[in-house]
Amino acid sequence: MIPDANSISTFTDELVAFIDRDVSAGHEPVEADTDLVMTGLVDSLGVVLIVEWLEERLGIRIDPADVVIEHFDTARSMVDYLRSRGDCTVD
Amino acid sequence: MGSHPTSAPTTLVDLLDRSADARPGAMALADGRARLDWRTYRERADRVAAALSVAGVAPGDRVGVSMPKSVDAFVAVHGVLRAGAIVVPVDRLAPAEYGRSVLIHSGACAVVSSQPPDRLAEVLDGTDVTRVVDPTGDLPAPVTAPTGRRPDDDAYIIFTSGSTGRPKGIVHTHASALAYADAAVETYDLGPGDVLTNIAPLHFDQSTFELYAAPLAGSATIVVPDGLARFPASVAALVADERATVWYSVPFAISQLVERGALAEHDVSSLRWVLYGGEPFPPAALRRAMAAIPSARFSNVYGPAELNQCTYHHLDAPPPDEMAIPIGRAWSAAQVMLVDDDDRRIDGTGEGELLVAGPTMMRAYWNAPDLTGAAVVERDGARWYRTGDRVRRRPDGDLVFQGRTDHQVKVRGHRIELEAVDAALADHPAVEACAALVDRRGDDRVVAVVAPAPDASTERDLIRHARARLPGYAVPTRIVGLGTLPRTGTGKVDRRAAERIYIDLDDRRDDDPAP
Repeated sequence: MIPDANSISTFTDELVAFIDRDVSAGHEPVEADTDLVMTGLVDSLGVVLIVEWLEERLGIRIDPADVVIEHFDTARSMVDYLRSRGDCTVD
Repeated sequence: MGSHPTSAPTTLVDLLDRSADARPGAMALADGRARLDWRTYRERADRVAAALSVAGVAPGDRVGVSMPKSVDAFVAVHGVLRAGAIVVPVDRLAPAEYGRSVLIHSGACAVVSSQPPDRLAEVLDGTDVTRVVDPTGDLPAPVTAPTGRRPDDDAYIIFTSGSTGRPKGIVHTHASALAYADAAVETYDLGPGDVLTNIAPLHFDQSTFELYAAPLAGSATIVVPDGLARFPASVAALVADERATVWYSVPFAISQLVERGALAEHDVSSLRWVLYGGEPFPPAALRRAMAAIPSARFSNVYGPAELNQCTYHHLDAPPPDEMAIPIGRAWSAAQVMLVDDDDRRIDGTGEGELLVAGPTMMRAYWNAPDLTGAAVVERDGARWYRTGDRVRRRPDGDLVFQGRTDHQVKVRGHRIELEAVDAALADHPAVEACAALVDRRGDDRVVAVVAPAPDASTERDLIRHARARLPGYAVPTRIVGLGTLPRTGTGKVDRRAAERIYIDLDDRRDDDPAP
């Protein structure tokens, strides 16, 4: 299920909720470790939507060279990548 | 060994033999993980064919192919052909309901798939499929039994979602597919030194370029895996590593490669051709792409899946202005004709519906004589396909696409009947009226206007509702509520007026200061 506003506690939850609500092409709920790419839940436009959302939400620029499968296959990989940048605080 | 000349193939069954005999050890397929030479490509396809025969699949049977994109997906297609059966690509990422309807409608009795059994069971439920062959599993020794296939026998069926929601199957014969492969090899001068880049999924007709033209020419193919294809920088790295020489995709994928591919770090100067098709390329984006890949000659490919390709337009210089890029002129395997609204032939300049004839034309729509009869007409002793595309002929003879005669649109190369999107939304109880549109101001997003205006939870529910019924590319990314929808004089929803209202509302939303 989509977490309601009160239960969203971390950035990861918020990102998962966004992907589940606005991007995922599947019927199964998305979780932090759901493989979004090989399962086809997220298509090319979906990746663009996620990058736009992250840039707007965090006020950062994501270099196209960083938009690779290793950083974007799950919500958790995205958060790990964002942490490794060192210029934004995510939990 | 292999020194005897192989005669030109007459069916797709023996297409792999030509390259496997001539250059058995040369690279045929790569996907970033595995590489196959021609000998292995053929041997693996023959193992799939043997497994299908052992399972009782006979020549002429329909066999679904539901595979993630990889070298194994290409092996699967040629395995089905080498068993004499008819290939039915099934989009494994589409809703299970859609895959199931393709299998039922085609009457498929077997499927080649490496998918997990639980996911596959969902798709196979209610179909006549009783046998599954996994090309990545243990397979019997290769045997090639004569299939008795003739050029006029059916080879593959590509399904598109028709306007009623019932899938429409485009049936190509061995002869029509080979006529396409032949003309493609000639037009783009493909040879053993070429490395093609397969971006399109198997259920998308662009993939016939790499599936059939490549083995005819002896060109290698890089099969870009589905997952990787979403990441332009990863695709650019693969193109650079494998020294790809030919790229063929929809404009969206080229723009992605150019804008997000980090081309400063990945050298793609091995590309000599960049072919685009499926929809128009906005001139400004095309100029950026041509500037970013100066090694390549760019060419516009035009042709509905019913013919694979009909015309080409090579660009010798970047487009100087914002005028639409021509679809060009008929290639060697097509004749074209324009007709006016009264079906009178237009010679010289003018605008009308484009009709095409030629050896690459489909045999028919699968089990749908009514649809075939409406689309394929006899005229001057030839069969002509009515494209439904409005086209203008310029004084220099080049053809320019002007739009559709119906509500079919293209989004990132996928055909979408807007009525099918309307229908998927309209059967939700909260919807009284709706109109699907394409917002062309950026990445071509499907959106919908709906009355009465849904609240936030109904809007989410509507999108989920659409996801269960439509392929992902046709699902609206946004739904905008209106009190009532604009209507035409005849009482139908006025899609153009709805589009203006949508854009106006959206602009105003963007102008609002952030809260």
